[in-house]
Amino acid sequence: MTDVRSWIRVGIIAGFVTIFLALVGLIGRFVDLNLVGEQVTFARLVLIAAPLVAGYVVTRPRIQAGERRALAPRDAIVAGAVSGATAGFVFGIAVVAADAFGIDRIRSVFLNVSEPLIDFVTFGQPPVVGAVILTAVSAIAGGLAAGLRVTPIVARRPITTAVSTILVLGFLQRIIPIALDQLGLERDWLYSRSIGGLTWLGAIAVGAAAAGLSVLNARKGRELRARLFSAGEEKTGVAPAQLVLVLVLVAVLVAVPWVVGEVISQVLGTVLIYVLLGIGLNIVVGYAGLLDLGYVFFFAVGAYSTALLTGAALNTFTGSGPPAVSLDLNFYLAIPIVLLIAAGAGLLIGAPVLRLRGDYLALVTLGLGEMVTVLIRSPWLVPLVGGPNGMRGVSDAAIAGFGFRETQHFYYLALGFVLLAVFVSWRLSASRIGRAWTAMREDEQTAEAMGVNTTRFKLLAFAMGGAIGSLGGSMFAVQIGSLTPASFEVQVSILVLGLVILGGLGSLPGVVVGSLVLVGLPGLLREFEEYRGLAYGAALVAVMILRPQGLVPNVRRSRELQEEERAQDEWAQEKEVEVAAVEGMAT
Amino acid sequence: MGTSPAGVAGVQMRGFERLPWRRIILVVLGIAIVLVVGIGAWKTLALPAAEGGYSAAAWRDFVVEGVSQGGIFAMIALGYSLVYGILRMINFAHGEVFMAGAFGSYFFADAYAGSGFLNRSPVIALLIITGVAIAVSVGTAALLERLAYRPLRHAPRLVPLITAIGASLFLQNVFRGFFGPQPYGYPKPQLLTGGTTILSVPITRVQLLVIVVAVLSMVALQLFVARTTTGRSMRAVAQDSEIASLMGINVDRVIVITFVIGGILAGIAGVLFSLTFGQVQFTMGFRPGIAAFTAAVLGGIGSISGAALGGFLIGLLRAVGPPLILTGYGIPSVFSIRDAFVFLVLVLVLVFRPGGLLGSGEAEKV
Repeated sequence: MTDVRSWIRVGIIAGFVTIFLALVGLIGRFVDLNLVGEQVTFARLVLIAAPLVAGYVVTRPRIQAGERRALAPRDAIVAGAVSGATAGFVFGIAVVAADAFGIDRIRSVFLNVSEPLIDFVTFGQPPVVGAVILTAVSAIAGGLAAGLRVTPIVARRPITTAVSTILVLGFLQRIIPIALDQLGLERDWLYSRSIGGLTWLGAIAVGAAAAGLSVLNARKGRELRARLFSAGEEKTGVAPAQLVLVLVLVAVLVAVPWVVGEVISQVLGTVLIYVLLGIGLNIVVGYAGLLDLGYVFFFAVGAYSTALLTGAALNTFTGSGPPAVSLDLNFYLAIPIVLLIAAGAGLLIGAPVLRLRGDYLALVTLGLGEMVTVLIRSPWLVPLVGGPNGMRGVSDAAIAGFGFRETQHFYYLALGFVLLAVFVSWRLSASRIGRAWTAMREDEQTAEAMGVNTTRFKLLAFAMGGAIGSLGGSMFAVQIGSLTPASFEVQVSILVLGLVILGGLGSLPGVVVGSLVLVGLPGLLREFEEYRGLAYGAALVAVMILRPQGLVPNVRRSRELQEEERAQDEWAQEKEVEVAAVEGMAT
Repeated sequence: MGTSPAGVAGVQMRGFERLPWRRIILVVLGIAIVLVVGIGAWKTLALPAAEGGYSAAAWRDFVVEGVSQGGIFAMIALGYSLVYGILRMINFAHGEVFMAGAFGSYFFADAYAGSGFLNRSPVIALLIITGVAIAVSVGTAALLERLAYRPLRHAPRLVPLITAIGASLFLQNVFRGFFGPQPYGYPKPQLLTGGTTILSVPITRVQLLVIVVAVLSMVALQLFVARTTTGRSMRAVAQDSEIASLMGINVDRVIVITFVIGGILAGIAGVLFSLTFGQVQFTMGFRPGIAAFTAAVLGGIGSISGAALGGFLIGLLRAVGPPLILTGYGIPSVFSIRDAFVFLVLVLVLVFRPGGLLGSGEAEKV
């Protein structure tokens, strides 16, 4: 039975994944993080996550002799259970072995292995009994996941919607209650004050509501969408329903900071800054296909030149002093100058590296970004940018005394610039320039042969991308009012690149979604702060392997990718099939 | 913003545009750099010791330090170069392979230091420690290849590069998650404390060990690639993997072997680096990784002797360059910006001679 062997193999891998999760601390540190009641905790979820995935994976339909063959429901559940049980068994053995070897000895190397962790994963029983329970629990988890996969879609969709809604609300337990309090709504029925998470009553209500909406969406959704979006196509005028939609969107955007309260507004402000950075980098990487790993360069240029132009002071040990070069301009006069400086810097670094392609270009830009990081820290430039101590007293961009430093005000300023950048970027991509970029990205030689002056369009991409990115830097300077080199590390470059790629290269909605996921979520889930890097890294690798077009792909590009996607589906189902070449990113 | 510069250029602009701007910019840039370097060096050397100038002994120390660290860079650079030669991809996560080896060996080194074994029989202890480092590095490199790179074997070049960046971030944070963000002090056996003198040049024992081990392992690698059957199939795959596979070479196996060799060198380099600097931390792979990559590019990526040469050159440039060039301009604490100096070298090499010193001198097409 080759089938059984593959179930067990997946189970073994899942077991090692659980061991890994435990060693990284994702189980032991979150034993008390309740999501629903005191029963559903984050740690328990992590404990059964790998068996769940294993159960889901082994029941994937296979392609045999060109035919798609799904497992019969009963076989699927057995497969999932076997796989899950194997995962639990492997982890159980590891736990027993760890206990026999001595927890303290392991702890001296792996910081997260502790008595409470072992206690938790063995359900308070002796290790061997605990391992047996683990195996059983994992088998159930694997069987459940497999069962869900073979459930007809009519039932599956409401179930998954309900469960994911409950989990999302459970994760946002620090945030949503604050927002509810802000609105003066009763919240004790939904979130428990004593244990932190959702109450069971609240979870059931939310789950039922989500499932109901999901059913409604399945029945009436298409009709509704058709009425909203198709009406405008034939006539030149805008359909009334569309107008309503736009008005609602604008109203939501305007009202959001006052509805959600200060904490979320703060996060939203940061998200908007990264949206600006993402829009800029999207021009360079997504439109023109030039991989830039040193984008923090423009972030720093924008922030520091804004500071210098609006009369910020250097931080010194004794207080503060004026920088070597300083102007005291109005913020709105300074912004065009900042944009010009950044565009100029883009041209300057773009010019010598134009002939380099692909990965070499990436490394040159990485080098330039790192140079900025090192230089703004160095004692050499203390008189200009304050070195490690940084600067303070950046303008708060006030208009007639209305300052934008305050969290909820800042949101509007950033939103304004984001809308401007979105508009510019959108028009650019639809213009002759945008088409030239696309041509260049897809095939540089052909583009050149067709009369596209690639040198000029590459420089233009660097300049435009740099200018919009520097706007992100300016916003950042306004938001926090003071600058230190710690905010301008290589991580910024990688984060921005990550959000552009996650959202989908060349896609503006993708930039917004990417920022919300990579910047907004970590901002809301402060308890997972330490695991940000881990998640980014894993997400980048996973997106590149599984979904290179991103979450919200650019339409034109995704059409190009579709051929390949079909090949990828096959690969997911039949491991032997190699992933075919994924076209679309410039080589 | 937003106006199209294309297609609107007037006729009178044509002659102006036909000038070889790129070449002119490069030549001007080149002359400027030579001037800056020359004047800086001259001013530094003319500086009397009382005003911050360096003595001959100081320069000698810089050179020895540079050569010794260059040996480490060369060993890491070989990992980049071998993989690039065969897969034409930059294994951005190679710095983390190096970090993994160093970190893995730390726990053994620490335990041996605690039990006194490290000082009782330092040679055996160091051999075991190095073995552990190699094992961890090789394991990391092989996993990386299998999980992250193999599914993308035929993807466009930027896809594996982005994957490698993600993998690098992931690996750093795995080690942070396992062992925490703090640096750990790396023990040094008494045998390696103090210094000695070779040909009237004073050198610390660690530096001597680093240079000897680096040279030996590079000679071994050169022999392996030149003399063994596996080495020959590596060269064949590097030239043309498709033809090589038609000739009966198992390309997947060769690729794994390449990653394994890179891992072995990175593991050894990890121990040497930790002995030199006395600590390990999850971020330790990034900067040496970039320096080593610069070395590989400087020498001509894909070539073994190039990586070795580039490694020693980068080590020297990093140790001697900042004091020699920057001190003359009165820039304070020149050593704090030596990494910026490395990046500058990287940029300049790629701009002026992308093929590297031993390469073709032409930017690669496609």
